[in-house]
Amino acid sequence: MKLSKFRESLSMASRSIASNKARSFLTALGVMIGVGAVIALVALGNGAQASVESSLQSLGSNLLIVYSGQPRGASLVRRNTTNIVPTLTPEDISYIRGLPSSLVVSAAPESSSTAQVKFENKNASVTVVGTDTAYPDIRNFHTVYGQFFAEQDVRSRKLVAVIGAQVYRDLFAVGSDPVGQKIRINGTGYRVIGIMEDKGSSTQDTQIFIPISTYQRYIAGSSDYAMINVQAASPDTMRELQRVIEDSLLRFHRLPNMDAADFYVANQLDLLSTLQGVTGTFTLLLGSIAAISLIVGGIGIMNIMLVSVTERTREIGVRMALGAKSTDIMSQFLTEAIILSVGGGLIGIAVGLLASWGANHFLGMASVVSLGSVFLAFGFAVFTGLFFGGYPAYRASRLDPIDALRYE
Amino acid sequence: MIHLESVSRHYKMGPTTVKAIDEVSLLVGKAEFVSIVGPSGSGKSTLMNIIGCLDSPTAGEYRLAEEPVARLPKNRLAEIRNRHIGFVFQTFNLLPRVSAVENVELPLIYAGVSPKERRQRAMEMLERVGLGGRETHVPSELSGGQRQRVAIARALAVRPEVLLADEPTGALDTKTGSEIMALFRELQNDGVTLVMVTHDPDVAALGKRIVQIRDGKVLLDVPVEEWKR
Repeated sequence: MKLSKFRESLSMASRSIASNKARSFLTALGVMIGVGAVIALVALGNGAQASVESSLQSLGSNLLIVYSGQPRGASLVRRNTTNIVPTLTPEDISYIRGLPSSLVVSAAPESSSTAQVKFENKNASVTVVGTDTAYPDIRNFHTVYGQFFAEQDVRSRKLVAVIGAQVYRDLFAVGSDPVGQKIRINGTGYRVIGIMEDKGSSTQDTQIFIPISTYQRYIAGSSDYAMINVQAASPDTMRELQRVIEDSLLRFHRLPNMDAADFYVANQLDLLSTLQGVTGTFTLLLGSIAAISLIVGGIGIMNIMLVSVTERTREIGVRMALGAKSTDIMSQFLTEAIILSVGGGLIGIAVGLLASWGANHFLGMASVVSLGSVFLAFGFAVFTGLFFGGYPAYRASRLDPIDALRYE
Repeated sequence: MIHLESVSRHYKMGPTTVKAIDEVSLLVGKAEFVSIVGPSGSGKSTLMNIIGCLDSPTAGEYRLAEEPVARLPKNRLAEIRNRHIGFVFQTFNLLPRVSAVENVELPLIYAGVSPKERRQRAMEMLERVGLGGRETHVPSELSGGQRQRVAIARALAVRPEVLLADEPTGALDTKTGSEIMALFRELQNDGVTLVMVTHDPDVAALGKRIVQIRDGKVLLDVPVEEWKR
C-alpha cells in the first residue's frame, strides 16, 4: 500500500473513532485490560520467582547438605531437620573437608533438637543447633550482635549460646543486652555470646546455636551428626562433588548403593531448578489467564466492528459508488480495528506497569516487569486487531454497492 | 458518451429468470440531458445501475467514453466510476458527521489527489454550486436543497463526463427542486452529460430527451418537445 493511501486510511479511521468516543473507548478497554493483565501478572510471576531464588540464595551459596536417614528426593529444606537420628560420623566430615579445594570450600556438622529455653521467668520453644565455626559462612547466616562461638569454644565444650533474633525477642526486653546473660536449655545454663541476624524466617530465627561438642555431650549423647553442610567450590562442580560424597560415604558406611543408604545428599542446584520449574509454571499459568482476557478483548473488537460495518452499510455503499475499491474499504476498517487495539495496547502497557508498580509499592508483592512480556502483550494486541478486525473489514469490502446504497 | 447495445440484466430467482432489463440499446451523446422515466419496477433503476457501472449486464455491450466496460472486474469498475461518473441520489447520501467540504473531497481521496489540491478543488466545487462559505457545516446543519448541492458538488469534484441523478428532486420541495434542475441545465451547458431517473413527469420534462422504460424495455425514446405532446 502506498504511504499516502495509508495516511488516508489512518485519517479516515481516526475520524470515525473520534466520532464515537464512548464506544471506541469501551472497545479498546478489552484490549487494555488484556494487555495490562498480561504485563502485571507476568511481572508478579517473575517477582515470585525472583524472591524464591533470593531466599534460596540466602540459605548459602553453592550449598550441599548431607542428611542422615533414608533418601527422600531433592529437598534442601526438609520438613523436619530436628531430632534426626544421626548417622554421619566424624570420619565422614573429615573426609569431606579433606577433598580438594577445587571441590569443597568448607563443611560444618549440624545436629539439632527441639528444646525449652528459659531466661528468668520467660520460656521459649527453640531448636538447639549444634555446629561449628564454619557454619555462619556456609549458611550465609551471621551474628548481628556479639559473636559466634570460636574454635576454642568447640574444642573445650564451652556452655555458650548464640541466639536467633526471635529467641532474643521472646526472652529479652527490647533493647536490653543479652550478651553475658545466662539462659537455661533443658536445665543446663549457657552464657549468651551473640544474636543472629533476623532472617524473617520462623525456622531460622527460633534457633539457638551451641558448639557441636557441647551439643553432643549435654543434649544428644552421640558422637555422630545429623547433617553436614557443605559449601561447594562452584556451581559447576556441585554435581561432581555430590557424586564423590555419595560414593565415599557409601563405602565408609559399607552400603551397596544409594537405595540402601542411611544418608542422602541434597544440592541447591536441584532445588533451584525444581522451584524454578514451579514458579515458571505459575508464571505461565498467570500469563495464560491474562492472554485469555486479551482474546476476549479481541472478540469485543470484532463485535463492535461488525456492528459498525452494519451501521455504516450505506456509507460503504456511497464510498464504493464514489470510486472506493474493496481494498480501500478493507483498509479503512482494518485500520480502525488496529488503531483501537494498538491504542488499547499502549494504554494497557501503562496500566500493566502501573499495576505491577502498585502491587510492589502498596501490597509489598515482588514484581519484576519483563520487557519480553511487554512486547509479547503488545504484539498480541496488534495481532488481535488484525485478526479480529480482519473479518468485519472483509465483510465490509465484499458488500455490493447497490445493496449497500439501498440499505436502510 | 454512453453507448448501450442490446444490454440485458437478468436475475435468476429460483427456477424463474427475472428480466430486469432486456435488450436495451441506448446512445447518449456528450452534453445531452436525458430523463429516464417509467413506473416503479420498470427496470429504470437497474438501467441506471448499469450505466453507473455499479452493476454489470448479463448480456450485451456497454461502452462508456469509448471504453468497453460491460465485463470489467469490480475494482476496474470502481476506477471507472471514480473517473467518469458522478452520482446524485434522492436522499443525498452525505456522510453525516463529516463537513460539507470533506464530503466533497471524498471521491478525490479515491482518485489519489493530494490533500492540499483536494481541499482547493472541493472549495471551488462548493462555490460552483452556490455554497461558498458553508464548507465547514455538517449535513444536519444544512437544508435539503443545500445538502443536494453538496452532493452535486461531490459528484462533480473529479470532473466526470457523466452525471447520474436518481430522483434528485424527490426529497425536495418544488421550488428547491427547480433550483436544482436549473443547476443541472447550467452543468449541461458546461458540457456535462446528464442522465436522470425519475417517475415525476414534470421533472422529467426539464430534460432534453425522454427515454421511457416499461417491463425492462425501451418503450419510447424521443426529444422532450415530442413527448410533451
